[in-house]
Amino acid sequence: MIFQDMKRLGILGINNRIGRYILPLNERKNYPLVDNKVKTAARAQAWGIAMPENYLIIENNGDLKNLASELAQRKSFVVKPANGSQGNGILVIIEVLRDQNDKICFRRSNGKIMSLGDIKHHISGILSGLYSLSGSNDIAIIQQKIEIHPVFEDYCFGGIPDVRVIVLNGFPVMSMVRLPTRTSDGKANLHQGAIGAGIRIKDGTTQNAVIRNRVVSEHPDTHKDIRGLVIPDWREVLDLSARCYDMVGLGYIGVDIVITPHDGPILLELNARPGLAIQIANQAGLLPRLEKISKDAPQGLSARERVDYSMSVF
Amino acid sequence: MRKLTAFIVSLFILAPLGLLYYKHNNLNLSLLPHKVDDTWNLHISLKPKDPTETSVSFPIPKHSAGIRVTDERIRAKGFETILDRNYDSVMMTWMSNEPITKTVSYSARVDVVPVKFENIKKDFTTEYPRGMNKYLKIPELSEEETEGLRLLEQAIYEGNEDKSLIARKAFYYVSEEIQRNLKFRTLKDALNIGRGTPLVKARMYAYMMRRKNIPARVLVVTKLPLKDEPNHDGKLYFSFMNEIFLNNRWIPVSTNIGTFGEIDENFLVFHRNYEEVEQLISKKKIVYNIKVNRAVLNKFNREDFRKEVIKKSAFFGGISLHRLPLPVQAVFSTILLIPLGALVLCVARNLLGVPTFGMFTPILLTVFFKETSLMFGLCFFLVVVLIGIAERYLLDKFRLLAIPRMSIILTLVIMLLMVVAITGVAEFFGSGHIGYFPIVIVTVFIERFSIMLTEDGPVNTAKTLIGTLVIAVLTFLIYSIETIEMLIFTNPELLFVVIAILILIGKYKGYRLSELIRFKNLVEQMRSQKKGL
Repeated sequence: MIFQDMKRLGILGINNRIGRYILPLNERKNYPLVDNKVKTAARAQAWGIAMPENYLIIENNGDLKNLASELAQRKSFVVKPANGSQGNGILVIIEVLRDQNDKICFRRSNGKIMSLGDIKHHISGILSGLYSLSGSNDIAIIQQKIEIHPVFEDYCFGGIPDVRVIVLNGFPVMSMVRLPTRTSDGKANLHQGAIGAGIRIKDGTTQNAVIRNRVVSEHPDTHKDIRGLVIPDWREVLDLSARCYDMVGLGYIGVDIVITPHDGPILLELNARPGLAIQIANQAGLLPRLEKISKDAPQGLSARERVDYSMSVF
Repeated sequence: MRKLTAFIVSLFILAPLGLLYYKHNNLNLSLLPHKVDDTWNLHISLKPKDPTETSVSFPIPKHSAGIRVTDERIRAKGFETILDRNYDSVMMTWMSNEPITKTVSYSARVDVVPVKFENIKKDFTTEYPRGMNKYLKIPELSEEETEGLRLLEQAIYEGNEDKSLIARKAFYYVSEEIQRNLKFRTLKDALNIGRGTPLVKARMYAYMMRRKNIPARVLVVTKLPLKDEPNHDGKLYFSFMNEIFLNNRWIPVSTNIGTFGEIDENFLVFHRNYEEVEQLISKKKIVYNIKVNRAVLNKFNREDFRKEVIKKSAFFGGISLHRLPLPVQAVFSTILLIPLGALVLCVARNLLGVPTFGMFTPILLTVFFKETSLMFGLCFFLVVVLIGIAERYLLDKFRLLAIPRMSIILTLVIMLLMVVAITGVAEFFGSGHIGYFPIVIVTVFIERFSIMLTEDGPVNTAKTLIGTLVIAVLTFLIYSIETIEMLIFTNPELLFVVIAILILIGKYKGYRLSELIRFKNLVEQMRSQKKGL
C-alpha cells in the first residue's frame, strides 16, 4: 500500500531511474564527459559554457614539486578530484597564510589550518584514486574558489550553495538549491546534512526545504526562513542547464550550477546518475514531470525554447 | 526487446527443466545421487550356554541381491574366526583354544533394498540339478500328517496346474486358512485345527512344495523396525518365510505376511536354509542378542551416482561433473554455488536495497565461511574490521600514498593469518585450513571499509557492514543445504535458470524495499499536503 502510494505520487525509485531513464537515455561512451572534470571543462570551453577557472591540473606526484610556488600566488582555491562524486575529496581553501616560521599554510572553509604537507597528502590520495568512482588513478584539479552570491549569505553556513537541475532530453524538470550547514561541514551535500530546498521551475522561488528526510522551514544555523527565496539569474540557470544536454548528449542528467556574484551562473559539474533526494526537497515525485516531457514536449526545440516550455508547465 | 527478453527468459527456464525431465524420465537418471540413509547398524552378540564349548557358530546376513553388507566388524580378541560362505548363506564361527566364557560379537552396516519379482511365468520343469536335492527332500512325517497333506492337496489342486500355479494355490491356502498362533507348534495342529506358528506355516508350505517336486526352503529372517516405529528398542527376533525355485530363480514367499514374489525392505534375511541352523537359533545352545539401529548417514553417494550416470548415458556421462576426480568435484561443488550467492546478492541489493560493500565482498565472505567455518569466519571478519578502524585512525596520520598503504594492510592481513595458524585459533573454531584466497579480498575490503568510514561516517559504514554480514550469513545458510549444492552440481544446466532469474531482476523497475523507508516521510508529507491524493 505504501508502494502504491509512492507510485500514485509519482516517486521515482532507483531501479526505475536506472532502467527507464539512465540506461536508455545515457550512452555509456559519453560518460567520461561528465565523470571527468578535466574533460567536462574542455568541452564546456568549446561550447562557451562558463566553469570555474582551473589553476593547476596535477596528473602525477612529480607535479607536486611546484605546488608551493603555484599556491603562494593564490588567495583562495579548491582542490578536487577530476573523477570524484558526491563532493568527496573536495578541499576548499579560503585563505593562504604564513605561520610563525614563515611557512606557507592554508585555512580551510571550516576554519582548520592545513600545512603544505597536508595538502600534498590529500592530492596524493586523489592521484592514487582514493576518491575516483572506479578507484583507479585520478587527476587532481586546483581550481578557482567561487565566491558566494550575496543573496545566499544569510542562507548558508560556510561553503557555497549550488543549484541542481534535473534535465530530461534538454528540458529542466526539477530543481533544488543545496545550502551548506554546520553539520554538512560547509559542503553542499545532502547526505552530509546540507539543506535541500525545492525550487519552482516557473519562477525560481524555493518552496519546501528538508534536511535529510525532515521538513524544515528555517536554516538551522542562521535561522533564516528558507521558503520564498528567489534564486538570482534564474532564467540563465535554466538556460545553462538546458544547454548542457546539447553539450554532452546525455538524456538524463543532473546539472550542478553555482551562481557567482559577478559572472552569473557557471557550471560546476554534471552528473549522469543524479540522485533521488531532489524529490524529497521538492516534496514531489519526478515521474509525472518526466512523463510529461516524454509524452507532450515538442521535438527539435532550441535550448531557450525548451526552457520556455519547462517554465510554462512546471 | 520485451519479447526477446521474455523468450530468452523462458528458454533459460524451460530448457534446463526440460533437460532435467528428460534425464529423469527418459534416461531414468536420478536427479540426485541417492542418499544412503536406509542403512542399519546390525549388532549380534552371543555366548554358548555350555561353558566348556570352544567354538560357536551363528548365521550372519550375506551380501546378496537386496542386501548390502559393509563395515563388518568382529570382536574376536584371542579367537580365530571363520566365515563359511556357502552358496546362499554365511555362517560365522568363533574358535578358541580356551572355552568361550565371554560374549563374542559381530557388527556390520546393512542396507536392505526390497526385492520384487513380477510376471512369474508358468513352470513345467521336471528335472533339477543335483544340488537341489536337499530342497526337494521330504522329511519323514507321521502317517496322520501325510494323510492330512494328501487330503488338502486333493481339495485345492485340480491336477492340471503348472508349478507356478500350484505354488500360488498353496500360498493362498496357507496364508489365508492357517491362522497365525504361537501356541500351535506342530504340523498336525496346522492341518487339523488350522492354526500355527510362523515357523509351522513356513515349513508346511515348504513341504507342500516339495511334495509337488518344487524346490523349497525355509528362510530365517528378522523384521526390522519400520520408520513409523520410533520407539522400537531395536531388538530383533527371528521369523520365517520361504523361497521356492521357479523358472530357475528363487522366488520369495511369505505365508505369514501374505506376499508372493517379494521381500519388503524391512525384512533382513539371515539364513536361507532353516534346517541347517535350527539348532543354533533355537536358544538351546547359544544365548544371543540381535540389535539394530538406523544409521543416519544422510550422505550423497557420489561414487555410485558416477557409475550410474556413465552407465545410463554415454553423452551425459561424458559431460557430467561426476566424472571428475573427487577432490576436483569438491572444488566445483563450491564454485557452482557462487552464482546462487550472486542471486541472493541481487535480490538483496536491487529488490530489498540492502547496502553491501561492493558486489563480491558478501559472496567471497560466504565462500570464506564455507571453506573455514561460520564461527571462525565471523571472528576473523571482526578482527579485520578492527584493522580497518585502526587504519582509519592510525595509518591515516602517516599520510601514506595509496599503494604502499594498501601493501601495509596486505602485510598486516598476512601477519594475522600467521597468528591464526600458529596459535591454533583456526583449529579451535573447527577449521583446519586457510587458503590464499582471503588475503586479497580482506585487504581490498579493509581499504574500502576505511574509506567509507572517512567519507560516509560510522553510521552508514555500520549499516553497510551489517548489510554485508547479513547477506553473507544468509547465503552461507543456503550454501549449507546439501541438497541444493548437489542438485546444481549434478545438473549444472540449472545455472541457466539462475541467469533467467537474474535477467528478470535486472528488468525490475519497481521500488526497492529500502525506498519504502527512505520515502515514507515524503509520502506522508505529500499526503498531508493532499498533493495528488
